[in-house]
Amino acid sequence: MAILEVNNLTKRFGGLTAVNDLSFTLNESEILGLIGPNGAGKTTVFNMIAGFYKPDNGRVVFQDQDITGLKPYEVCRRGVARTFQVTKPFLDSTVLNNVMVGAFMQAHNAAEARDIAWKALETIEFGDRADAMGHEINVPDRKRLELARALATGAKLLLLDEPMAGLIPSEKGHIIDLLRKINQEGFTLVVVEHDMKVVMSLCPRIILMDRAMKLVEGTPEEVCSDPKAITAYLGEEYAARDPEPRR
Amino acid sequence: MKQRSISFNWMAVAFVLAIAMIIPFVLEKHPYYVHIFILVFLFGYLSTAWGLVGQSGQLSFGHAVFVGLGGYTSTILFMDYGVTPWVGMFAGAIVATLFGLIIGYPTLRLRGPYFALSTLVFGLILQTYVVNTQMLGPINLRGAMGLLLPLKNGGDAPAVFQFATKTPYYFIALAMMVSVVLLSYLLNRTRIGSYWTAIRSDQEAAESLGINAGRYRLLAFLLSCALTALGGTLWAQYFHYINAERGMALSLSIEIVLVGVVGGWQTVSGPMIGAMIIIPISELLRAQLGGGFAGLHTLIYGLILMGVILWLPKGLNPLVMRGLKWLGDRLWSTSPSVRTPEDSGR
Amino acid sequence: MAETLISALVAGLLVGGLYAVVAIGLSLIFGIIRVINFAHGSFLMASMYAGFWLWHLWGIDPYLSIIIVVPLAFLGGYGVQHFLIRPMFQRERTYVVEPLGVLLLMAGLDMVMANGALLFFKSDFRAVTVLYGSAAIRLGFLTIPITRLVLLVISVFLAFGLSWLLSRTELGNGIRAVGQNREAAALCGLNVYHIFALTFGLGCAVTAFGGCAMLPFYFVDPSMGLPLAIKSFIIVVLGGLGSIPGALLAGLMIGVVESVGGQFVTATSASIFSLIIFLFIVFFRPKGLMGVLEA
Repeated sequence: MAILEVNNLTKRFGGLTAVNDLSFTLNESEILGLIGPNGAGKTTVFNMIAGFYKPDNGRVVFQDQDITGLKPYEVCRRGVARTFQVTKPFLDSTVLNNVMVGAFMQAHNAAEARDIAWKALETIEFGDRADAMGHEINVPDRKRLELARALATGAKLLLLDEPMAGLIPSEKGHIIDLLRKINQEGFTLVVVEHDMKVVMSLCPRIILMDRAMKLVEGTPEEVCSDPKAITAYLGEEYAARDPEPRR
Repeated sequence: MKQRSISFNWMAVAFVLAIAMIIPFVLEKHPYYVHIFILVFLFGYLSTAWGLVGQSGQLSFGHAVFVGLGGYTSTILFMDYGVTPWVGMFAGAIVATLFGLIIGYPTLRLRGPYFALSTLVFGLILQTYVVNTQMLGPINLRGAMGLLLPLKNGGDAPAVFQFATKTPYYFIALAMMVSVVLLSYLLNRTRIGSYWTAIRSDQEAAESLGINAGRYRLLAFLLSCALTALGGTLWAQYFHYINAERGMALSLSIEIVLVGVVGGWQTVSGPMIGAMIIIPISELLRAQLGGGFAGLHTLIYGLILMGVILWLPKGLNPLVMRGLKWLGDRLWSTSPSVRTPEDSGR
Repeated sequence: MAETLISALVAGLLVGGLYAVVAIGLSLIFGIIRVINFAHGSFLMASMYAGFWLWHLWGIDPYLSIIIVVPLAFLGGYGVQHFLIRPMFQRERTYVVEPLGVLLLMAGLDMVMANGALLFFKSDFRAVTVLYGSAAIRLGFLTIPITRLVLLVISVFLAFGLSWLLSRTELGNGIRAVGQNREAAALCGLNVYHIFALTFGLGCAVTAFGGCAMLPFYFVDPSMGLPLAIKSFIIVVLGGLGSIPGALLAGLMIGVVESVGGQFVTATSASIFSLIIFLFIVFFRPKGLMGVLEA
């Protein structure tokens, strides 16, 4: 069942086209990977879905509702939450209070919000740092905080912008497990990522973007052996060689 | 530990309040000191009300306008239409809220310094208008003369908010200050306070979590305007006089800002603490040095403000809180308890 | 009728020149360092008092005192940026709200300077009397005081001179680079804080230049700073952030609007004009007249 439909999404900044006629569908409980070289337009796509940019063209339909051009808070209210590539914790608040801010999206009062926040923290296995201040925690913890906060909103669809950026391999493995766990609990995820190992192991389906356009879509194996993908990352001469299936 | 601290805090608050209630009787022979306390409470009230806007992340440099609007509304209603200020003060709050809507709606989304300048400019416009205008339609503003409160029964008429001695004013001012600080504290524990903190910390992140920043900032602003206006009525009734020259002055706005910033302008108790420090200093300076050193107390204001910004950007509030906590640790016996989730620091 | 209007127009231009000369320095500081220099009026006042005392004690003509006061103002401005404002920028690496912090800091400085002047110099108005003080050019029905005309000329000269400096010299390039992107400029090897301090000093120097030129006809008193500072903010926003010629143009416009407007409406309303213009710009056209940057 399609939970998100993106049709002909286009965004221009002055003379530069950042996203050009992008379309894809997302099914419930999927994990979709969005990859591509820097500047391909991935974060711009996120920003358009989440309401931070207004598309110049195209539509975004979430759960059969047209959310194109809605303000970010309205988008969140409909059930789409996002994390940021460069984390944005509320520095002056505790981790728990940070997550509570998200929790208020579903809660009717502070006590309820606190409960929901605790649950989110426990899901992320972050409960032991609940009292730490936003400015005290390190980068991987900030990533966890963003995740917990987004979870607490009760959003059905989570847009995760480079959740692995800044993490060392062991930390990444941990987050991958968390993301799988969240997915199994029913959340749909779209993940922008650069680390191919992560993408391969986490995302059953990938979209590769380059220079504002969708190049390839398919399973990780399909995408990686596609000559267009190789061209995008490595240049044409590599694509000319015989493609081998990637493991 | 938190359980213990919380109960200590409340005990301390109750203790301080109890003392505060006795003071006017103890100082009956020294009305000047009672006067200073009243000023502390008045400015503590005004700055805390102003601070609500600060909690949502904006700094208003024109809040004196709302003091004036409140005082003018209730006083004109009393002088020309016989309405008791006890009712008039709420009319004043409504008027202030309307102006707050006009001022706030276009300006709150501006970046910090531009919002500050815009409120300053609005304040100047309104003040200039009132100082230079006699009649606004059927309403007699009396221009630069200001409004001199007519005394009823020689100034002893509780029904119209006039009292013969300072003591009732003391209690009213105290009650108002305590109420507004309590309100601020309670709001902080709800969704509203949580959202305000989020907006001022990182508006983009807040919006991505479903917060309509514009609406919550406007709420803070309107609430602040209404409460400030109530303080304006207290001003008019206590001083028996209000005029735009002083009541809507930039200097008053700056004083409110100063008190708030020195105490800690984005906290609940900060402005109140700021008032407790600044007002007595300034009054005593004014009394001791008198006319020969005109400007000294404002100069000291300036030095204090600069010092706070440079070295204590969060104001005196954290220091005071830490001091109280230290005191609490010394007075209460140590027994470690489970760390429970607590609200973010005040 | 036409005569009164033309007189008002000319008077407006002359006043506009004064406004412009005060605003140009602020435009530079505001545009490059992005700090709201709340103490700008007090710097003007301080430079005028310096000029006054030079005249009062040693008989130095105000225009000559420029030679002494301007370098002093430059040093003063440099010092303020270096000792007071720089720590705020460095602290920005944490989560302190910086633009408001600097605003409050400068507001405090303004209080200190204005009241310091009050304490030391008392509140009496001071005036410089020079032989040419009442000299005027007569053009038909117009009487144009020479001192005010000179100030207008100076304001134009300063505006173009500053623009030339910014666009044609290496220092100017550095200043503009720093104004556009601090990090990038630092990566190119520019000492950002030093340039900030130079800019602040330059802004104060320009203001002092104008201040001394105002002495022959303008009274000095401790509280003169704030109203002029507020007007300068309005002019800078109207002219457009980052544009010195814009500040000149805006200053002249405001002067003319107030002067001509004062012929039709009460003096009160005329004084509110500039305030309303400010709000209008901030709401509807944050770029201002010639702005390169957004307000």
